[in-house]
Amino acid sequence: MIRILHLYHDLMNLYGDYANVSALKRILEKNGEEVKVEKLSLSDSASIGDCDFIFVGSGTERNMRVALGDLKKYSRSLKSYIESGKPALFTGNSFEMLGKTITDCRGETVEGLGFFDFTVTEQNKTRLTADVICACSFLTQPLVGFVNKCSGISGVSSPLFTVEMGLGNSEGDKYEGVRLNNFFGTHLTGPALIKNPHFLAYFAELILGKTPETDYLTNERAGYDVTLGELRKRVEAK
Amino acid sequence: MKKFFTILICKLLRFAGKLLGKGSSLPGQVALKLCPDILSRVELPKYIIAVTGSNGKTSTVEMIAHILTKNGKTVSWNREGSNQIEGVTTLVLGSATLGGKVKSDILLIESDERFARYTFRYIKPTHYVITNLYRDQLTRNGHPEWVYDALADSITDGTQLILNADDPLVSSFAQGREDVIWFGADKLSTDSETLESVYNDGAYCPVCKSPMKYTTHHYNHIGHYACTSCGYHRHDTQYTVTSVDLEKGEMVIDGKHRITLALKSLYNMYNILSAYTVASIVGIDGAKIAEDMNNYVLKNGRVITFSLGSRQGTMLTSKHENSVSYDQSIRVAAAYSEGCDVMIIVDAVSRKYFTSDVSWLYDIDFDMLNSPNVHRIVLAGRYVNDLAVRFSYTDIPADRIKTFESIDEAADFLNSDRKEYIYVITCFSDKGKFLVKVKEEQAK
Repeated sequence: MIRILHLYHDLMNLYGDYANVSALKRILEKNGEEVKVEKLSLSDSASIGDCDFIFVGSGTERNMRVALGDLKKYSRSLKSYIESGKPALFTGNSFEMLGKTITDCRGETVEGLGFFDFTVTEQNKTRLTADVICACSFLTQPLVGFVNKCSGISGVSSPLFTVEMGLGNSEGDKYEGVRLNNFFGTHLTGPALIKNPHFLAYFAELILGKTPETDYLTNERAGYDVTLGELRKRVEAK
Repeated sequence: MKKFFTILICKLLRFAGKLLGKGSSLPGQVALKLCPDILSRVELPKYIIAVTGSNGKTSTVEMIAHILTKNGKTVSWNREGSNQIEGVTTLVLGSATLGGKVKSDILLIESDERFARYTFRYIKPTHYVITNLYRDQLTRNGHPEWVYDALADSITDGTQLILNADDPLVSSFAQGREDVIWFGADKLSTDSETLESVYNDGAYCPVCKSPMKYTTHHYNHIGHYACTSCGYHRHDTQYTVTSVDLEKGEMVIDGKHRITLALKSLYNMYNILSAYTVASIVGIDGAKIAEDMNNYVLKNGRVITFSLGSRQGTMLTSKHENSVSYDQSIRVAAAYSEGCDVMIIVDAVSRKYFTSDVSWLYDIDFDMLNSPNVHRIVLAGRYVNDLAVRFSYTDIPADRIKTFESIDEAADFLNSDRKEYIYVITCFSDKGKFLVKVKEEQAK
């Protein structure tokens, strides 16, 4: 039995991020596994150490602070989970919770969990949004997606992606997200694992310890090709 | 003199633009260049009514204009829906004399949510209607709270707020303000006890972020709510839908004004209610308003009936990147008890801006189409693969779904001898690509 923890499923679910969990559940089941998804939120208590995968999605700036207040109770268990090399994916602004500090548009600062040395600064003037193409060393094909945020992140020493089109961690930065062992934090919002079937297969492989069966992902691959083609056209037009 | 020339040039450009069939943004844009504070130099009428919110702005404004005009008022309004500051400037200067006096009794402004703070720096609304705040075009708007903050900046003292009590985020604009008029719906026969939506934007209190409880849901997170911690709750309403029968197509306001609905949706009901509220405040008699709204067919082309070969259908123009808008259209189709086929088109995600993002499909409750009333589902457009994947996460049997990349081929497929009614659900950006294949019926 594989246990997936979907934390703050109602609070941090702004751009259809929940569908990442649906996709992962499906690929594991197609590969013969029994999967249990636990959707937990504020005031619940999760046993982090028993999980095989943890997912947190994006939220509003206010909701992320509420989630952070709650996430602190898991600080120790989540740290050892990540250190042990177990996989987790945090999309949108949720991974910002694991940095040193988050400063809002009024200059008020809250402390993050401090797993990483980066600091986050939000503003309320311009929403930073962009279609994105990015690449990474562990996948042969690039990723497509969308970034929707109001923050800049500085001091990331181990980024996740190189940005070909779109937005990086801070203005002008060509690196995006953060990685530590099998913890993946990215500002890509929404169902990143559905838009990028090879990224989904990668997580399935991490969990299963073997190459998963992915033949059924025909529409997903066709959708990915269309989106990548549309985005590449934009890059070339510039 | 500067004022005179700015107004003159704006009017001339507007006149030339109309001849050429151009939009209404440019004249205002030029006027603002020539005289940046032109809006504050114009003499405005007693009533300046602004309407904003995620959904229903254009329809509500059209209805308000219709009622007021019918009752002898002169109204200047942005009927083309150019709702950013340039379009509003064109509207105001176009309605003004060359001396700078707006002659109408009422200036009625549809305003874009994000740009209201710029527009209303110069023109302070006397009445400000906020219809709702949903997840709408998030690739540009960020999220509802982001829009909330931008709108909060546009509200100034001396403006009477007219708020939808059933929307928890919209209602929180009243925090710390006294001059508020509330509209909303009583518990309705169409309500559900539990939430019917893929996500829950009413899960937490907009004021303190503690869990909220609903006693009834009109749709999605619109309903009767109360915070379990800070006491924040739905406000009582002065203008109220007391009952609705969507099957018959009828709503009742304040227990006495019965209105037949040309479009049988809760959206239409709310638009009528907010128009009713505004017209009442302006002094029109309730019975008269009800008469003017009875069987009112919108002229803004959002609902189009058509024939395709021997088949009849309706296009419900919905907004891409707006799940509540889609959910509403899907509810209309799913409730069609005589049986229908449903077509969904996603070809260009946005009309004005480029984006390839399809995340919003996952916020739409497509499972509602898993109804005995819906026989066949046709998906079409460039993003048909993404649509097909999204539908694979519903319980709808795959053999009921047909996919076509080409909208043309999809329309040809629907042009058969089947008897089912056709509902086409798509956006402004894509509707023309289907309408070229059908014969449009004239509005009643």
